[in-house]
Amino acid sequence: MFRSMFRKASPSFERARFQAAPRSSCIKRALPAVALLASAAALPFVAPAQQPTPANVTADLPAGAMQAKATATCLECHEARIILQQRLSKAAWAKEVDKMTKWGAVVDPADRDALIDYLSTNFNPDKPAYEPQRTTDKNGAGRASK
Amino acid sequence: MKSRREFLKQVSKAALVARVAPGMLSWALPQGQSIPFPGEDGMILRSFRFVDLETPVEYFNTWLTPVPHFFVRNHMHEPIELDAGNWRLSIGGEVEKPLTLNLSELSRFESHSIVNTLECAGNGRSLQRPQVPGIQWGKGAVGTAPFSGLRLRDVLQRAGVKPTGKHVMFRGLDEVPGKVPPFIRSIPIEKALDADTLIATQMNGSPLTKHHGFPARALVPGWIGAASCKWLTEIKVLDAEFVGNFMSPGYRFPNQPVKPGDAVRPEDTHPLTALNVKSVISGPVDGSSLKAGKVVVRGAAWAGEADIVKVEISADDGATWDTAKLGHDRAHYAWRLWSYDWKPAKAGNYTLQSRATDSQGRTQPAAPVWNPSGYLNNAVDQVNVHVS
Repeated sequence: MFRSMFRKASPSFERARFQAAPRSSCIKRALPAVALLASAAALPFVAPAQQPTPANVTADLPAGAMQAKATATCLECHEARIILQQRLSKAAWAKEVDKMTKWGAVVDPADRDALIDYLSTNFNPDKPAYEPQRTTDKNGAGRASK
Repeated sequence: MKSRREFLKQVSKAALVARVAPGMLSWALPQGQSIPFPGEDGMILRSFRFVDLETPVEYFNTWLTPVPHFFVRNHMHEPIELDAGNWRLSIGGEVEKPLTLNLSELSRFESHSIVNTLECAGNGRSLQRPQVPGIQWGKGAVGTAPFSGLRLRDVLQRAGVKPTGKHVMFRGLDEVPGKVPPFIRSIPIEKALDADTLIATQMNGSPLTKHHGFPARALVPGWIGAASCKWLTEIKVLDAEFVGNFMSPGYRFPNQPVKPGDAVRPEDTHPLTALNVKSVISGPVDGSSLKAGKVVVRGAAWAGEADIVKVEISADDGATWDTAKLGHDRAHYAWRLWSYDWKPAKAGNYTLQSRATDSQGRTQPAAPVWNPSGYLNNAVDQVNVHVS
């Protein structure tokens, strides 16, 4: 079920996680463990069953010459909403891009300035506030409130 | 906009429904905007991958926050593999006798419970100007719950802390993407040995959910949320503060006031520890249209390791302040709910403000104390309302 969630959430995500974190290559092995947890709901130390997640959960980066490259570079590790909600100066975006590059984002040095331009053009302090979405526990599958 | 009566009716209905079926709260969602998220209902979606969820302030109408409405903060991906049977907690470093414990062994320690208000250090970051990078939390990265488990102190004492042990490091099972530094932080030994600092396995009387750190998390009461490491797997006693991104430059605050653009040297900062004094207005919500008459202004106030002594309300831009009534429910590290009966003299637009004062004599500042990472924004809260 995790496998299908990741695949639907982002086609590149599963691949990215195999590359990025060796531990996550245990996805296949994790499945029986998750099933075990779900079936043992009466035991004291057991996580609640995780539900399959529908596909329409992702957001996209805005159109532009750097959209494809930014998507490939940034969304390997996190989703678009983390970018969509920022309202930063160009200098602050430059710091973020350089920090993320240090943390493993693959940015061709020839693309660095264009990427910073793309981010600061779309997500600067003059842009209207980001309107976040809300979650819904559609099937009432959440744990009972206490 | 809803009238006050409709608003209160819906809030009380929501509180009623929340005890029965959290899934039925979808009336609060803008049509077509909600994202299915099992176990998390009506939450503000700051990020889906990795998961960061904020509680809408209007949910802060109960002393204890139901788990489906409790904010979720992750720095990276949640662990994929969580098998309670194979889970182990190692305790090592500056100790006489390193230990490895499984869940069954943990459960044999004396149990202890505390009610704690947990708040992300970045709560309110989006209200700073100019804005700074990070999850753009509004006012709802905070919640209150009973946590239970065992005392960290008991485990450390069994391992035998050497005199060289000055700090205690926590490592979680977070899945680290790319070359991101792992989420590891430490707390000073004094706080680790405090009788209320826990290795928590339960929240609101049930096992921790995955989003909240199943099967065990640190729970460092009264301190910033980042101190309470989730999916705990390793405890290490160190002779000095842990050196890593999430201790420095992360989660540090300037020693002196700084202005946007100032270069702040690491040696001029200190690690964040306890929360500061703060209040939030849970109703009426910002932008409400109200009918003249008595309006009940409600909210919550908290102060980390200190106690709330007073919450004041102003309806005239801070010219005069009246004292709100504090709720009966209280616990050392937990927020106090408060309410205030407001009788607007005439129709018009009003800004309602709330200001808390604590037992250490601290009072909320009028404006955010700007800092480069947007931490600990505890400015006086305010909502704008219209009275007809």
